[in-house]
Amino acid sequence: MNASNMNHREVKNIDYGWRLNGRPILFYKDRSLAADESTHQMEKALRQMSMEYYALDRCLQCGICSSFCPNNLINTADSFSPRNFIQKTRLGLLDLNGDELWMCTNCGHCQMVCPFEIPLLEVMAGLRHLVVEKGAGHIPVSIKSSIASISFYGNPWKEETSSRIKWIQGMETAPDVATAEETVHIFLGCFPAYDRRARKTAEAAIYILQIAKIPFKILSDEEVCCGDTVRRVGDFATSEKVKNINKANFLKNNVRKLYVLSPHCLSAFQDLYAKENDHQIRIAPLLELVYDLIGKGIIKLNKYQDKKVAFHDPCFFSKHLNIIAQPREILDRMQGIERREMEHSGKKSLCCGGGGGGIWRDAKKGERLSEIRLDEALDTGADIIVTSCPYCLSMLEDARQADEKYRQVEIMDICELVVKGMCDENN
Amino acid sequence: MIKKAINSKVMIIGGGVTGLSAAISLDALGIDSIIIEKNSSLGGKVKDYSKIFPDFRSGKTLVRELIDKVEQSSRIRTIVSASVTSAERIDGTYSVQVSDNNRYNVKAIILTCGFEVFDARLQDEYGYGVYPNVVSSLDLEALLEAQEKKGGMLLRPSDGKPVNRMAIIFCVGSRSKRLGNPYCSRICCSYSTKQAIEIMEKNPDASVTCFYMDIRTYDRGFEEMYQYAQELGVKYIRGRVSECSALPDGDIQVRAENTLLGRPVQGIFDLISLSVGMMPCADAEDLAGLLGIERSDDGFFTKKDKYFSQHDTVQEGIFLAGSLTGLKPIKDCLLEGNSVSGRVAAYLNECK
Repeated sequence: MNASNMNHREVKNIDYGWRLNGRPILFYKDRSLAADESTHQMEKALRQMSMEYYALDRCLQCGICSSFCPNNLINTADSFSPRNFIQKTRLGLLDLNGDELWMCTNCGHCQMVCPFEIPLLEVMAGLRHLVVEKGAGHIPVSIKSSIASISFYGNPWKEETSSRIKWIQGMETAPDVATAEETVHIFLGCFPAYDRRARKTAEAAIYILQIAKIPFKILSDEEVCCGDTVRRVGDFATSEKVKNINKANFLKNNVRKLYVLSPHCLSAFQDLYAKENDHQIRIAPLLELVYDLIGKGIIKLNKYQDKKVAFHDPCFFSKHLNIIAQPREILDRMQGIERREMEHSGKKSLCCGGGGGGIWRDAKKGERLSEIRLDEALDTGADIIVTSCPYCLSMLEDARQADEKYRQVEIMDICELVVKGMCDENN
Repeated sequence: MIKKAINSKVMIIGGGVTGLSAAISLDALGIDSIIIEKNSSLGGKVKDYSKIFPDFRSGKTLVRELIDKVEQSSRIRTIVSASVTSAERIDGTYSVQVSDNNRYNVKAIILTCGFEVFDARLQDEYGYGVYPNVVSSLDLEALLEAQEKKGGMLLRPSDGKPVNRMAIIFCVGSRSKRLGNPYCSRICCSYSTKQAIEIMEKNPDASVTCFYMDIRTYDRGFEEMYQYAQELGVKYIRGRVSECSALPDGDIQVRAENTLLGRPVQGIFDLISLSVGMMPCADAEDLAGLLGIERSDDGFFTKKDKYFSQHDTVQEGIFLAGSLTGLKPIKDCLLEGNSVSGRVAAYLNECK
């Protein structure tokens, strides 16, 4: 796109509307200063693709989002600002082959503070969709292979479906006397099913359910990826595919109450299944069940070691679903635990870098959000970082393994901590 | 219980500058009027402004002049600390019940209930009401007046330290769908620029930084005021402030993006002033229901026609004037008070 393009450009007969509330209010032919045919085509394609794109038109370019974007904290040459991203995109100047499109970790802070409530995450998914499914640009290799794996194997790591819950056999407790209404179903998600570290959180969760004598079933090896992250990186078809497999699975197993371990799975089920939840499944995070069990005194907490604990809010809980107080209350109920708050916490928590496909990208050491997060935790003097999301757990654990200075902190899922603090009389 | 029935020609609901201006103009036309004011004194919001733009005269003096004229007139009756409780129209006469237990029979009603200032606490990123050195523009107006009286420097609330580094954040509670006010409040750019000039003129060593989104100094003399501010050294940075946080010594740290440079900026300031936007007056909903008149989605009252009947409403005999149909600077409010009186005089003439 250079000046000569502008001079020799023929004005093509491309009409696209600028819309307000879905209605075209005016039509004109040129919008972009440096518009050549390709930017016209891109903008046209985007506008046809989704109504969310039209939301970009109401951006004031105020920049309130930019200071909140976690990418600002990383010292890379090409810093990312949501404001700048919107401006480039709506002029059709975004480089679809570049890295910028993949830097967003979908934490949702920009969306939360935006004065005009621009659904930037939807726009981001739509743009990535253009690249992934319509071939409009370059997909990072690691994301490409993860998407392909989910499409063929139902998980991001090309693992066999049959090995998904091999380790879990014999742990289920759903006595025959329990009715379908009483039985709760657990959706593990790919991380706890395959990742050895995340599996420990699932084991802890299962142990809690066993102690509480809750009749539960784990969805069989038909369970596949929930389809949230794959949608957020733009592969709507694969997301749809896994969604339908899971839905059939829920129907077959007569699922009434479904607890999910990961906030990402929760987001998938709440967003994707909401419209067609035809047989009324109640979907909730397992954190909620654990919170209730502790609140009702079914799970009793004893004194755990004297430890300083910082809670790392998963973005999909704190920012997307406003689940902030419950995990903190659980921590406060454990004697010996001293809760510390990191610089960014609650609704303003800092993303671990794993969301929106970040977990499949290879961020270089020194450019990871998880490292900044660990630094923040060290500043509070915490011994343990507790979180409640397999992505956060994995991202933080990876960063911890990579650097000697982080070894002093321990990273735990809240279920693991609850199990450690449970009374003997429970047994 | 009704104490007595009082007959008059026009009732003006709201004793701010618009209401006063309307009453004075009606008086000049020989028409009786009654002003109902819910606060204990006349003068509305303007009586709290130490200086008004663009000519820096005192808001108090302006209000005083208006009130003097009202008090000198035998045709204007003022009732303070009172509000309308019910109104009905019988044979072309409005019978209005007021909280002083009197019933007023009038031919026409002029609604001049004005606006409300946005509660800056609702935009919690800025910590108004939490950090003492984050003040609203109204608070700053009071601080500037105190400085005027005592002479010397502008002092900040927390520890009385002189203010040398000052930041003004524009568009607080305006242009935000999230906070329910998607519109531009129109006058904040100008009054904030006026405040910046006042600070710079008193203390040329001070640094005043304005964080703005778009400068809308739209009227005659306003743009010149903006340019004068820049000549004085007021810095304008384009970008909405993301967050304010307090440092141990009471200073306030501000984070924003300079959107023209595309670069993050951080600054530490002695005092932050939030240029709060405006909303329709708190009683707007009640009054609209009481009088059976319409409001738009943004809460402001709807004119019968935007071009030809600027003061009329859907109800015959009820007229609108001032900032309740959209925010406007003081001089425009005075003008509307003036013009509504002409419209009402014509209406009364038709009724005869």
